[in-house]
Amino acid sequence: MRTLIVACLIHSLIACSDNGKDTTVARDSVQVAVESGLHAELPSPTYEQRQGRHVYVKYCAVCHGTEGKGDGFNAFNLDPKPRDFTDVRYMDAVSDARLMETIIQGGRGVNKSVLMPSWGGRLTTSEQTYVTAYVRSLGKLMESH
Amino acid sequence: MNTGRTYFAIWSVALLVVLAISPLKDFFREWRWYQYEYNSLTSELPQRIKPADIGIKQIWARQLDRVDRCVTCHLGLKEKALSESRQPFRAHPQIHHEYEEFGCTICHEGQGPATTFEESVGRVEYWDKPIFPKDYMEASCGRCHKEPNVPQAPILTMGRKIIEESNCIGCHKLEGFDRQWVPSLDGIGSKVNRNWLVRWLKNPKSYFAKTRMPNFFLSDEEAHLLADFLMTFTSFPSNAHLEPIPEHLGAVSTSARDKLVELGSTRFREARCISCHPINGKGGYVATDLGKVASKVSPQWLYNYLKSPKRLQPGVEMPRYRLKENELVAVAAYIGSEFVDYEMEELPAQTPDPAYYEKGLALYKKYNCSGCHELGGMKKAEEMGPDLTTVGDKKLYEIDFGNVSIEHTLPLYLFAKLKDPRAFLASMKMPKYEFTDEESRAVAVALLGNTRDAIPVELKVFPKPPSTYSPQGEFGKLVDDLACFGCHTMFGRGRLVGTDLTRESSQAQSEWIKTYFKIPYSLRPILTERMPNLFLAESEIQVIVDYMERVFIVDSLAQGIHIVQTKVSEGRNLFFEKYGCQACHQVYLKGGYVGPALDKVGSRLKPGWIIHWLKNPQALNPESIEPNNNMTIAEVEAITAFLMSLK
Repeated sequence: MRTLIVACLIHSLIACSDNGKDTTVARDSVQVAVESGLHAELPSPTYEQRQGRHVYVKYCAVCHGTEGKGDGFNAFNLDPKPRDFTDVRYMDAVSDARLMETIIQGGRGVNKSVLMPSWGGRLTTSEQTYVTAYVRSLGKLMESH
Repeated sequence: MNTGRTYFAIWSVALLVVLAISPLKDFFREWRWYQYEYNSLTSELPQRIKPADIGIKQIWARQLDRVDRCVTCHLGLKEKALSESRQPFRAHPQIHHEYEEFGCTICHEGQGPATTFEESVGRVEYWDKPIFPKDYMEASCGRCHKEPNVPQAPILTMGRKIIEESNCIGCHKLEGFDRQWVPSLDGIGSKVNRNWLVRWLKNPKSYFAKTRMPNFFLSDEEAHLLADFLMTFTSFPSNAHLEPIPEHLGAVSTSARDKLVELGSTRFREARCISCHPINGKGGYVATDLGKVASKVSPQWLYNYLKSPKRLQPGVEMPRYRLKENELVAVAAYIGSEFVDYEMEELPAQTPDPAYYEKGLALYKKYNCSGCHELGGMKKAEEMGPDLTTVGDKKLYEIDFGNVSIEHTLPLYLFAKLKDPRAFLASMKMPKYEFTDEESRAVAVALLGNTRDAIPVELKVFPKPPSTYSPQGEFGKLVDDLACFGCHTMFGRGRLVGTDLTRESSQAQSEWIKTYFKIPYSLRPILTERMPNLFLAESEIQVIVDYMERVFIVDSLAQGIHIVQTKVSEGRNLFFEKYGCQACHQVYLKGGYVGPALDKVGSRLKPGWIIHWLKNPQALNPESIEPNNNMTIAEVEAITAFLMSLK
């Protein structure tokens, strides 16, 4: 009987200590798989940023440029020039709410150039959130370099 | 007696200890610490967040028959204030479904009922579906969304497009994909030269980098055998034969030849061949590269093909240009003199293997060439590759990872397989498609969504049934002859390289359409795929316009407008000063390159179209990137008046 109890005790102790084995290995390999992925250039982009990238490429990149430097192929037709999102000093000063407002209302709604259209009627609320997050990440990316 | 008591005491204590183990073990579970931590984290925040009740929490997704306990630790999923907090407390990004309704594992995979980190992410032994890496998440969208284009899942959509274009269903069983048109090989012996064919079979992408034909890694011997075998097929489908090039038009003197080539060069440019055909990688993407085509096909084939593409290659999406006999010869002569591969060396002469036909046929069957190509009425070997309709459920023990050092998970296996199909075993037959990392991942995502999950039918989104539109009569013949569906969509059928013509006559004025056929200029300066000049006869254009006016029209879009000067100037003001339309559109030869130029738009569009377009562009074209400005009716009318005044 005693042996049985001791065996029970030992067994439960082992069961307790068993948790957490190999965690680091598994987590590291997930990380590697993710980082070797599509957005290797961005430090672990969030879901919003990844979705926002697709919105950005479709709607914004023609003027603001694929890298957000304000140098899209249509930019040379525009005066004033499109905003450079990699301008850290400007991007640090502007809040997310302001960015979103500009996207929704366009230049005319925020006292800027009318050449920036208002996207409130075209993009869904989620798309607006996503693209704001992506535009934000463009600035942050340059900062870290 | 004392001994008995001592024993009894020891026994009692021991029993108490043993009985305490079970509740204690439960008390020290990791989720409990996460919940304490969450409560102390949120109490420090300025926002008021409801503390969590200590205990296991779960979502029971009744319809999906899943129980997920992830919310036991992921407590802040709904709290916006925690959007940048560390895991497991971070808020869930905004998505299109309520997780409370669908649960977690239907999208993320992993082991829902588990209550420890390791077990719930599923990276434990005997659990086949560990949590998806971020880049493969959209695979889960594909479980219910079976339509080809899922707008909120761009990676999935891309993967499905690649699967369709690469004609994976030639070898694999897959649901929801249409067979692609692939050239028939009948008559290949009268079309190409053997020298080219051997090189092509060895590596198709060295001739045309964007070809859909994959690389089968044939050995020299195999390539020669297969080429010899294919070269024996000299007659075209329906027993069509090549007509000789009219002799009186063939080049006699050098000067006559130069003139012929010059005429050919002019017609080649006027017909805008490069809208569809790239030349050494530059130009359209719809058709094959012409950069070295003169070293591939015979001049006689070229002449016959230009004369009537569908006679030699039924179903091909090449229009039959209305070129005169001498112009056909001229274009063939131009292509023959211009697009030569001077670097292609003659292969050393070789005596063919006496049994080349049998051996070639065996190779043709081994690599399932008839999965895509037609040849001599040969039957397609049905589903030669593995069935991929439930590949997302594949068990890990069914997969042979060979010597490849990757983590043993299904997404990574599929990715590696698509990158290098023979990496796991050299003797495998799957050819290499030269997918980039992004493309391989997209295809893997599309495949992973093919599962047998018990998902109720009402939650699934199925593709629309294919369009049955098939124009008849004179117009129908023209559509077939000119391969209009190759670029244009009509009533849901056809590709969208060009515009959707379903409402063309509500949009454009008939006079403009007529002049457009004669000189098809480009409305958007940035486009590379431009409408070709088909050299149509006046009567043919009339047939098309008449048909469009009767069929490609929606009465509710018809609306007239009075052009009053005050309205025009008001509209001009709105156009330039309020909405900044010139950012994307050209007017008075100034403005952006994104949308179509609006110079002379008053002689192109109908006012009713402009009115409805300005009210809601996406109602007329869901893919348009034009912003919807929610203009008032008065503004819409003013801008329409302004645009209609531009004639």
